Amino acid sequence: MNRRDPGPRSAGAFLRVATMELPSARGLVPLIAVLAAWQVLAPGPSAYFPAPFEWWNAAVVLWESGQLLPAFATTVTTFAEGLAAAVATGSVLGIAIGTLRPVERALGPLLEFMRAIPPPVTVPVAALLLGYGSTMKLTVVVLSAVWPILLSTSSAAARVEPLLFDVARTFRLPATRWIGRIVVPSTVPSVLLGIRVAIPLAIVVTLLVEMLTSLPGVGALMIQAQRNFQSAQVYALLVMVGLFGFIVNDAFVVLEAIVLRRWLGREVSR
Amino acid sequence: MNAGRLAGRRTAATPFWCPNMSGLATLAACGLAWESAIRGGLLDYDYLPAPTAIIRGAAELAASGELAQATAQTLEAVFLGWAIAVTAGVSFGLLLGASPVVRRWSLATIEVLRPMPAVAFVPVALLLFGFSIETELMVIILPALWPVLVNTMGGMTGVHARLADVSRTLQLSRAAMLCKVMVPAALPAILVGVRLSLTLALVLAVLAEMVGNPTGLGYAVVTQQQALRPDLMFAYVTVIGLLGLALNALLAAVIAVFLPAAAAALDGPRT
Repeated sequence: MNRRDPGPRSAGAFLRVATMELPSARGLVPLIAVLAAWQVLAPGPSAYFPAPFEWWNAAVVLWESGQLLPAFATTVTTFAEGLAAAVATGSVLGIAIGTLRPVERALGPLLEFMRAIPPPVTVPVAALLLGYGSTMKLTVVVLSAVWPILLSTSSAAARVEPLLFDVARTFRLPATRWIGRIVVPSTVPSVLLGIRVAIPLAIVVTLLVEMLTSLPGVGALMIQAQRNFQSAQVYALLVMVGLFGFIVNDAFVVLEAIVLRRWLGREVSR
Repeated sequence: MNAGRLAGRRTAATPFWCPNMSGLATLAACGLAWESAIRGGLLDYDYLPAPTAIIRGAAELAASGELAQATAQTLEAVFLGWAIAVTAGVSFGLLLGASPVVRRWSLATIEVLRPMPAVAFVPVALLLFGFSIETELMVIILPALWPVLVNTMGGMTGVHARLADVSRTLQLSRAAMLCKVMVPAALPAILVGVRLSLTLALVLAVLAEMVGNPTGLGYAVVTQQQALRPDLMFAYVTVIGLLGLALNALLAAVIAVFLPAAAAALDGPRT
């Protein structure tokens, strides 16, 4: 049997492995060049293209007004709670649906249609049914983040190597044991893939709810800045939201790499 | 419990023309349960219409021509934005895929810009273009660019090294190697990106219409929600869902007819 390198074991080594997969920092040169050119060509405030240093000043003003921190806290909390609920629901339902083939086949068209509905559309639907409030906000985030996780998990659970089930049958393993020992380990990579797809969706929908309903949060702050023609604030918030997306996505990629490496390592070394 | 029977075996793929009867039956049963729950007063939301009311609403919208008009407005933005995103994405992707130097000096920029949440562009687009189709196009193009770009680049760099050896043996020029070897070999990956980007373009168009450009299906959904006409709102939501499925099927059919060899790659797992 092909014994692969089980991978490094300490957390520091994992981090080194994970950062090795990041592209070289030289690649940031075009971005920095554009921002520098922007600063040189348009130094100062403008209604459309304020200079990057103005963004910084606007961010400081927002921070000092005490709006920034609560807005980010609300948005991040909604995002995290919604994603956690979606992961729990999606992976459990996905395993249940994928394991029971007739159920998978029966629910297939329904799930495909639910997934085809663009997540932003759930916002007005939920607003009408549940009213404006934090329950609605959370429901919408969960509803849009759950489909990629559920479908990715159920298709992985349906595609588990049949030979493994023969093994389970030979050993007369009870259902709880073979689900825990066979189905769950084989679906973990797909659950992670589903979460990776769901993260940007959850961020987008969280911000969209706040923009559409003016519930407190970063989205509401952005729309408010745009309505007041505070162009520097709009750009400053765009950068902050972009950084948030970048950090969350990248942190998850690192986490995924660590989990998969550890998983693969364990799977192979046994 | 019998593990093998319960989980089922991978049987030969069912032919696509064979309808999934149990699936359709489930759909019908859900609709019936929904209808009877509303009529029986089991589901007691103020604004949840029964399926028959939604169908009546859709018929009303279709008869007045509002549905066709909104769909046409949305589709115009989707196709325009998608076409621009695909053109730009394939061009940059080819450049990045062909040149390791360009890749080294710009990959990190792409990685930083790519996870920008689409909706965050709305305020900036509104600032620059106001409530207009330009706003909608900006919100569609910027995020829909990445799947095409990344898949094109990945397809190019993933081409087997032996193909490059072959073209050198045949003494192909750099341009000929690119057109005759690299691009055809990367085509399946490019098409995956093109397809992801189309699905994304519809989502983004609806999103942009909800907050940015007051036309089309997205705006119609928000308007009907504020007008407290849930039957019409659900009719629009259903149309948007069906439109997504139809666009996907249409693109798959076009690819199957014109690029049959590359079409096989699209049948793989979707994300």
